Amino acid sequence: MGIQLDFPAVLERWPSFLGGAALTLELAALATMFGALLGTLAAVGRGTHNALIAGACKVYVETIRNTPLLVQIFLVYFGLASLGLKFSAFTVAVAALTINVGAYTAEIMRAGFEAIPRGQIEAAEGLALSRVQIYWHIILLPAVERVYPALTSQFVLLMLASSVCSQISAEELTAIANYIQSDTYRAFETYIIVAVLYVILSLVMRAGFWGLGLVLFPRRRRLGTPL
Amino acid sequence: MTNRKLLGAAVSLCCFMMMAATPASADLLDDIMKAKKIRISTDLAIPPSGMMDASMKPTGSDVEVAQLLAKDWGLELEFVQTTGATRIPNVLTGKADIIISTLSVTPERAKVIDFTNRYATLQSDIGCMKSSSVKGWPDVKDKSIGVSRGTTQDTTLSNMKDKDLKIARFDDDATMVTAAVSGQVDCVGSSATIINQIGVKNPARVFESRIPLATFDLAIGLKKGEPRLMDKLNAWIAENIKNGKLNAIYKKFHGVELPLDMRG
Repeated sequence: MGIQLDFPAVLERWPSFLGGAALTLELAALATMFGALLGTLAAVGRGTHNALIAGACKVYVETIRNTPLLVQIFLVYFGLASLGLKFSAFTVAVAALTINVGAYTAEIMRAGFEAIPRGQIEAAEGLALSRVQIYWHIILLPAVERVYPALTSQFVLLMLASSVCSQISAEELTAIANYIQSDTYRAFETYIIVAVLYVILSLVMRAGFWGLGLVLFPRRRRLGTPL
Repeated sequence: MTNRKLLGAAVSLCCFMMMAATPASADLLDDIMKAKKIRISTDLAIPPSGMMDASMKPTGSDVEVAQLLAKDWGLELEFVQTTGATRIPNVLTGKADIIISTLSVTPERAKVIDFTNRYATLQSDIGCMKSSSVKGWPDVKDKSIGVSRGTTQDTTLSNMKDKDLKIARFDDDATMVTAAVSGQVDCVGSSATIINQIGVKNPARVFESRIPLATFDLAIGLKKGEPRLMDKLNAWIAENIKNGKLNAIYKKFHGVELPLDMRG
């Protein structure tokens, strides 16, 4: 049984593929942005002395990290609708991905915070920096710089995981692929093309994060050494 | 690893690849009979055609048709679980021998697989909430319509570009039904059977058929170029229409009978 590949039959749908890839990238970008914010807040919250806030952050992080993404997406999508709140599949997808990546970001950020030597903070206090200055310059930025590689790979993973959003009718790349293969019956060709597109999307994201790193961490740019 | 070992490994790898590349036999029917087993591609997430019962065993009208076929032919039955979109690829890639899974006969599909004569029919409609005022196409313009991706309803509605419909595509019927039950979509494009089932699941949201889409013949699908298997399947279908067994199975699960000429 030979396999005959017929790429032109599938490639003529390139506008659909491109639309799907664009939506995937859009989903990933929004979820990364909101997720980074949410995750940082959760990591800060987990480190506070307020037991209530620290406990709530811990429950959030552990719940999300120990349940499948698909289940979380269904919970948000069908849960909200049962409560009478109706959002588009895209909004729900962004929200669910944000909640998911936020928990992972929180754990990575916590590692970054814990890697800051106490002496560094004490030295800043000795120099009479304000609390906000200490948090920003002495804790947050060096912490982010340390865990930046782990963060970026988590965000790329998020982009790949966004493929399950096809389940709730978000027309991202995998949903488009499912449709095209069910219409052309060229499953092998379709998924090869989609796999290549995902690789390209990953590379685009990695390049973006590399550039962002250059802007965010001038010390590293000048010296080229990790902290 | 020594050179001789390496050579041995390379030779056995080549043999293995050649074995994998040579077709086992030219005739699928012979293969099935020799294996004493038939692999049938059935979606087990589309009640009442295919579903799991309380003890997680497959049941449903397509499941019983498959079981009847295997019993009549004296074969062991293996269900190859599938979704609407992967039914056809399953037989094209040799993962399954035939499809019995609410497969409607369409010209597009006939280009890639062969169909037997019909063993059942399927009425598909646009279903909306009982309380809604939808009566015809103009009324569904601002409503979201849930469909299962890759089904005939999806294709039919997607081709109505001039009607400017808001189609939400889900990966299977179960998710689409949940979307309708929970209120994520206003209407669904599906079979009459499934539309009636939504109200059973959530009495607060009873759906009913409002706009007829089409009546499809359901047939068994198989890979092209298998005339002997095709003839045997057609003979089996004719026999079981005549003795009323297919109608009985359909009535048991769908609550309605097949068209008059298929009642035996």
